[in-house]
Amino acid sequence: MNHQTALRWLQAAVDRQVGPLRGFLLDRHVARCAICRAEQDRLLSMRTAIRATLEYHRAPPDLAARIGAALPREAPPESVPARSWRQPLGFSLAGALTGVALTGVALTLALTHPSPSRDTLVDEAVAGHVRSMLADHLTDIATSDRHTVKPWLSARLDFSPVTRDFATEGYPLVGGRLDYIAGRHAAALVYRRDKHVINLFVTVSDQPDAAPTLTQKDGFNVVSWRAGGLRYVAVSDVEPAQLQAFAALIRHPG
Amino acid sequence: MPHLAAAFNLARWLTGNPADAQDVVQDAYLRAFRYFDSFRGGDFRVWLLSIVRNSFLTWVRDNRSGHLVFEPGLTDITGADSWADPTPGPEAILLEQLDRDTLTVLVAALPAEYREVLVLRELEDLSYKEIARIADVPVGTVMSRLARARRALRVAWHRHEAGKAAS
Repeated sequence: MNHQTALRWLQAAVDRQVGPLRGFLLDRHVARCAICRAEQDRLLSMRTAIRATLEYHRAPPDLAARIGAALPREAPPESVPARSWRQPLGFSLAGALTGVALTGVALTLALTHPSPSRDTLVDEAVAGHVRSMLADHLTDIATSDRHTVKPWLSARLDFSPVTRDFATEGYPLVGGRLDYIAGRHAAALVYRRDKHVINLFVTVSDQPDAAPTLTQKDGFNVVSWRAGGLRYVAVSDVEPAQLQAFAALIRHPG
Repeated sequence: MPHLAAAFNLARWLTGNPADAQDVVQDAYLRAFRYFDSFRGGDFRVWLLSIVRNSFLTWVRDNRSGHLVFEPGLTDITGADSWADPTPGPEAILLEQLDRDTLTVLVAALPAEYREVLVLRELEDLSYKEIARIADVPVGTVMSRLARARRALRVAWHRHEAGKAAS
């Protein structure tokens, strides 16, 4: 790589936006070029200084309520069935937005501002998710056919989780797996969103129903809720909004 | 309210004050709500921030007629200038003394198109590709804008230090 080209790509390398081959060629040049090394140092120290110092302006606490009040008032999201592939995400946005308008800020804030998890079940679900990815042991039974997954799980568990394929909505079912979460047998239903994996853990619960809450743990997003004597924990590295849309699909299949 | 923090931060940096930022963000969420059908999937935050940017442009048009904020013709010419800094030298020590208020003033004085890429890159940690989608320009333009933004900031910072030393 010649000097001018290297100078041009240094910034992208500092921003980690350079592919491996170009990065290799760039590194080889920089190792031999004092000018490029100095420029790289400047870019790095500048990046560090800006990231450490530049202010992240916080939204005023009443802004969410103000926006919510300005939004058109519509029916509560529960009454909107998911119809098209676009619907689940629309569902999530409409839910989040009208949620503010209709039921106040608290619920929405709870849903959209992830809090650190203090829940062993969430911790173990995240651990189970990571385990399934690391061990390349995503599924015991790999099929998108719910009529295969459901009896397979039912035969091995003392409950029968809902197993539906949401491929048309962008969340295809890829299989199921047995897991063990927080001292209970769990069904792990494996879905995909683009290239991301979503593990949906289902266990028996003796607690009352509870609305979905979003938490974050080790960089993963976790949406958990309780319904009909079952506890659901969805774990993935997809965007929170997409995971919430997924949870909405599971809770209210169209 | 999904991604309200990111939306407000961008609007605040673009408008330069909290009151206008709130108006821009509110307008952006109303648009997002209205035009949700145009969301083609992908990163919701990127989509929302592109709407915040559009709301900002509308706000500029309505409130500051004639005041050109984005000047693509002036600064997006590529290749003609040097990419290296005109004032070389180790800066790590100098930059360690950079305080928040000074940096805020220096960044706020940059053109909006520079503030935009800096905020999206350094505060939102978005990729060039994502920034390109938000700013509605090619990835190469994002690269050149970022380079110019950083160079302009560096020059402003050196000027600030020189001014401090002189006074």
